[in-house]
Amino acid sequence: MIKFLTPFEKISKTNKTLILTGWLVLLVIIWFVATSGEKHLFPSPSQVLTGFQELYREGLVVHIFNSLKLCFISIFLATIISLVLAYSWPIPLLKSVSEFVTKFRFLPFTGLSFYITMVIHEARMMQVWILVIFLTTFLTTSLIAVIKDIPQEEFDHAKMLKCTRLEVLWQVIILGRIDYVIDVIRQNLAITWMMLVTVESIVVASGGLGFLIKNSDKFMNTGRIIALQIIILLIGLGLDAGINYLRKAIFRYSKI
Amino acid sequence: MTHEYKETLLYVENLSVAYDNNVIIKDINVIEKDVVRPNVECTGQVIAFLGRSGRGKSTFFKALTGLVHSNTGKVLIRDFENSEPNAAKPVKEGDIGLVDQKYTLFRHKTVTQALKFSLRKTKFSETEKDSKIKKYLKEWGLENCADKYPNELSGGQRQRTAIIEQLFSSDQFIVLDEPFSGLDVGNIQEVKKAFDLLGKSSEVNTVIFSTHDIELALELAQTIYIIGYPTIDGKLQSYGTIVAKYDLREMGLAWKDYCEDHLKLSKEIIHQMMIS
Repeated sequence: MIKFLTPFEKISKTNKTLILTGWLVLLVIIWFVATSGEKHLFPSPSQVLTGFQELYREGLVVHIFNSLKLCFISIFLATIISLVLAYSWPIPLLKSVSEFVTKFRFLPFTGLSFYITMVIHEARMMQVWILVIFLTTFLTTSLIAVIKDIPQEEFDHAKMLKCTRLEVLWQVIILGRIDYVIDVIRQNLAITWMMLVTVESIVVASGGLGFLIKNSDKFMNTGRIIALQIIILLIGLGLDAGINYLRKAIFRYSKI
Repeated sequence: MTHEYKETLLYVENLSVAYDNNVIIKDINVIEKDVVRPNVECTGQVIAFLGRSGRGKSTFFKALTGLVHSNTGKVLIRDFENSEPNAAKPVKEGDIGLVDQKYTLFRHKTVTQALKFSLRKTKFSETEKDSKIKKYLKEWGLENCADKYPNELSGGQRQRTAIIEQLFSSDQFIVLDEPFSGLDVGNIQEVKKAFDLLGKSSEVNTVIFSTHDIELALELAQTIYIIGYPTIDGKLQSYGTIVAKYDLREMGLAWKDYCEDHLKLSKEIIHQMMIS
């Protein structure tokens, strides 16, 4: 037991699993005990279960599908724009443009979405472009950081093999770091997922998980809110694991 | 052992490099000629650069390979595409191969893909390229690594791949920056074998390397240059230059096993390094 409390002590995989299971069981017990009385702030497991059932009857699957569709379209568009910006970062004339875009990540969400609503009137398009604009700033920042981290030796190595400057860009940055692009998307997925729910709750016209939260919030249905949070968390974790698996499966050389 | 000098392969004159106003190396002069030995099929040139840390060896190598622009001076190498005797050309990126201490390779290319890439600008046909790659993989003990990525190779395998890659791409010149640093006894033997293979594969192959291991330099090189801070008018300068040159061929110490004479020279080299 002392071993488990000693800092930096190495433990077996089985013990790690046991500790994790123990904590999860403890969390569930606390949840059951803390919500067993008459008055409780947090919804009880049975309320959450009812929330799940209600959500399912109200077309939860369709809403999840809507949110995922929005998520993938936005990530796809933002990735394309970010890659163009990041790959033009090594070009002196375009460097400032790429760096300027990264600074926009400090802008508040609602301020910019106000202007977007004035230009785009269709709800779905509005959601897509709000997400694309914000995601682009985060993705570009991360992609430029990946390029900055490439050791000088890799560029010198390519030059030594008689690569032209464009070939260096292609071989070292574009082909050489394609697996990192997938990892950057994975890392930024949490931001995307969080933003997506917020965007859906601001522009509620086209459904989705954010719309469901907003509705549940309105009627103080805490069971449903927690049920939705669990669904959002599980989908997010699933996407994270899926992308990570994809990266390792496609790129054998990728050990990030 | 008798030998004779043929045409000039490498000519460095008054080479200086400064970053901003900070002079790193100054007035470096090197002339290396093709050396031929009777009754020996191939004798590649092996040149060692020794010197204490921070004396500008890596900067000199970068200037030599065209990776860093020199402030003054010139680097000329034998132009093998020109059949005229002693035809030379100024060095540019890629003419002289450089293998760094980390044995950098393309992380997204297998050994075969990397070697094929390094042959892309040669005049060989696809079939010739394939057979050349197979031949080298066999000779250099990399047959089992043909489809492996750099992260699946051992240090020694990585280094051999990096050397072949540079050999395929460059014009017979290879610079190795501290090829023995951090290697165990087995890997050192592998690199020594690689030097041997390089020397035996072409008469004009020229291997230039830096090391802190004086014994290995004496064992492998035919010429040893010491880069250090020169003393001018009794004052130690703060830029690197060649402070001593030892031609082991002229001294009768090249191409022979390590002996008492090598040990004496080793002490002399240590002294030169300590005062510069």
